[in-house]
Amino acid sequence: MTNPLSRRGFLEGAASVAGAAALSATGLDAVAEAANPRDQRTLNLICWAGYNDPSFVTPFEKKFNCKVTGINPNSSDEMFAKWMAGGGKTYDLISASGDVTRRLMRSGTLLEVDVSKIPNFKYLFPKFHWPAWNTMNGKRYGVSFTWGPDSLIYDKGTFSSPPPSWGVLYDKRYKGKLSTADNPITIADVALYLGYKDVYNLNEKQLMQVKKTLLAQKTLLRFYWGSSTDLENAFIHHEVVASNAWPLMANDLRKAKFPIGETIPREGATGWADTWMISKYSPNIDLALQWINYMIGPQGQLGVINVTGYSGASTAAIPALGKQRVHALHMDDLSYFDKLKMWTEPSNYSEWQKIWLDVKG
Amino acid sequence: MDVAQPTRLATPSSRRELPAILRALPLLSPSLLWLAVFYLVPLGILLLHSVWSTDTVNMVIVRQFTLSSYQSIATDPLFRDVALRTITMAVGVTLTDIVLAFPIAYLIAFRLGRLKTLAFMLVLVPLWSSYLIRAYAWKTILGLDGVLNSFLVAVHILSRPSPAFLYSNLAMFITFTHVWLPFMILPVYTALEKIPRSLLEAAGDLGAPGWRTFLHVVLPLSVPGIVAGAIATFSLTMGDYITPQLLGGPDSQLVGNVIASQFGVTFNWPLGAAFSAVVLVIVAVFLVLANRVGAAGTAR
Repeated sequence: MTNPLSRRGFLEGAASVAGAAALSATGLDAVAEAANPRDQRTLNLICWAGYNDPSFVTPFEKKFNCKVTGINPNSSDEMFAKWMAGGGKTYDLISASGDVTRRLMRSGTLLEVDVSKIPNFKYLFPKFHWPAWNTMNGKRYGVSFTWGPDSLIYDKGTFSSPPPSWGVLYDKRYKGKLSTADNPITIADVALYLGYKDVYNLNEKQLMQVKKTLLAQKTLLRFYWGSSTDLENAFIHHEVVASNAWPLMANDLRKAKFPIGETIPREGATGWADTWMISKYSPNIDLALQWINYMIGPQGQLGVINVTGYSGASTAAIPALGKQRVHALHMDDLSYFDKLKMWTEPSNYSEWQKIWLDVKG
Repeated sequence: MDVAQPTRLATPSSRRELPAILRALPLLSPSLLWLAVFYLVPLGILLLHSVWSTDTVNMVIVRQFTLSSYQSIATDPLFRDVALRTITMAVGVTLTDIVLAFPIAYLIAFRLGRLKTLAFMLVLVPLWSSYLIRAYAWKTILGLDGVLNSFLVAVHILSRPSPAFLYSNLAMFITFTHVWLPFMILPVYTALEKIPRSLLEAAGDLGAPGWRTFLHVVLPLSVPGIVAGAIATFSLTMGDYITPQLLGGPDSQLVGNVIASQFGVTFNWPLGAAFSAVVLVIVAVFLVLANRVGAAGTAR
């Protein structure tokens, strides 16, 4: 029997711990996404939540006899980092928002899109034919398919009428019951609240003021939300009563019969347009183009609008949606789109990231 | 000759034998190869990244030697705060787990007799479920409409559910303490189990009352087990980023989150690698200290 008074006894004890740790360590990489080899007919997506919902993915898979897999990171930065980590070779398609498209275009990993291969392109609103965020040097690098605001959502049980101002998210009266998106681009929302005109072009002084506001807000927050389900659960369990969010959360909460309200306060709102972009290294470029075609066509548009509550960039689903919904989604009057301060990449974005990480620390 | 030769000694002076480790090399080489390829090489690559930098405009890693990442860390108050918070949490969790695990391990080792194996399995069973599930379970228990709040309100300890239990350092502390507890119970139990019962009898024969035997025989001999468990809980807490993400509040970032965001969000691998190198040093220091304590315990 090993003498417990010896170094060997000590090491044996340590080894048993290590063994147990190794057994349990597999649980610790639960957040790793499935490593999917790029075989012939699998389309790998990296996209926002809701964009690879089975309700419209399964018909596509059946029609083209393929498999569609996807991961849903919580922010554009995360999507970009994951895309670049594989050199653009890990995924076939990315649903890039306007704050990250320029970085992607500069990275040299994108395929120039030949719209002659996308018959449903004719359905797109003219505004999305040559948008600044998809175009570089006169070339198209993606096709937009949805857009929407960053709206203010609130618990109708707490607010009998919609909060008139974004100030509610900085209001001490709701201390401990607020949330905000864990994303540096939220700085634009703060800039909007502070009344700055050009929210994506902030100078030193303005950024310092934003940082001060964010630090003051931190003490009022319950938590920073990352994924849409985190925020939705927080509302359902009455942990938060107000937050910035996308129509997706309001849509999901309404489906769950939760009394959620959604509004655009008087200061206005930031917004975003999402674009499908293709990796130039994809072995399934034809299939990727079919995916884009599908997503701006009647079935894909109706599917994604039903799941997310976002507005479509294409007219293809307008007949199916009906007048009321089309009006609610502002798809009958795109001047609403112009009123939103669309996500775009600030020239000093690394400053924004630094501020965000400093505030969170 | 019919005179019996004396037995040769194990280490003849006329012939140098290879040290034991070299003799074992052929046996070990598959494992060493595995260790080198899947552990040492990636570690080396990581440390190499820590002396490079990122071109934030073009989003590429510049492969030239520079200490700028380490300089940023040294001058950044953020990292100091986060590192301090993480070390404090790690130490707190370790001490709490020692206090909680010891009685349980003692019970299983000395008092349970036939039920020993069953109790041992019960300690291990939580490890069969995913760590993520246990973290989410705590999220449910500690929330405003969770079991804990409902209970405290029902027995009138609280008049209203308290938001302090979730999205806070307390929530992280509770989760860490619970999730790492088996890693403390196991080595302490092993150490206690190895104590020769004859030693305890001898102590009794020499006139020591129960508590004295415990203090002077059992406790010192269990120190290697406690140290092994402490190493586990400290290191695991130092590196964790999932629990802060799920259960932490706005002010609960740990070192693991900062590192993860460098790799996952900011695409600043050199900075993340430099943070990792610093954490490695912190854990290494702890290991050296723990080893000293452990050696002191076994030297008695």
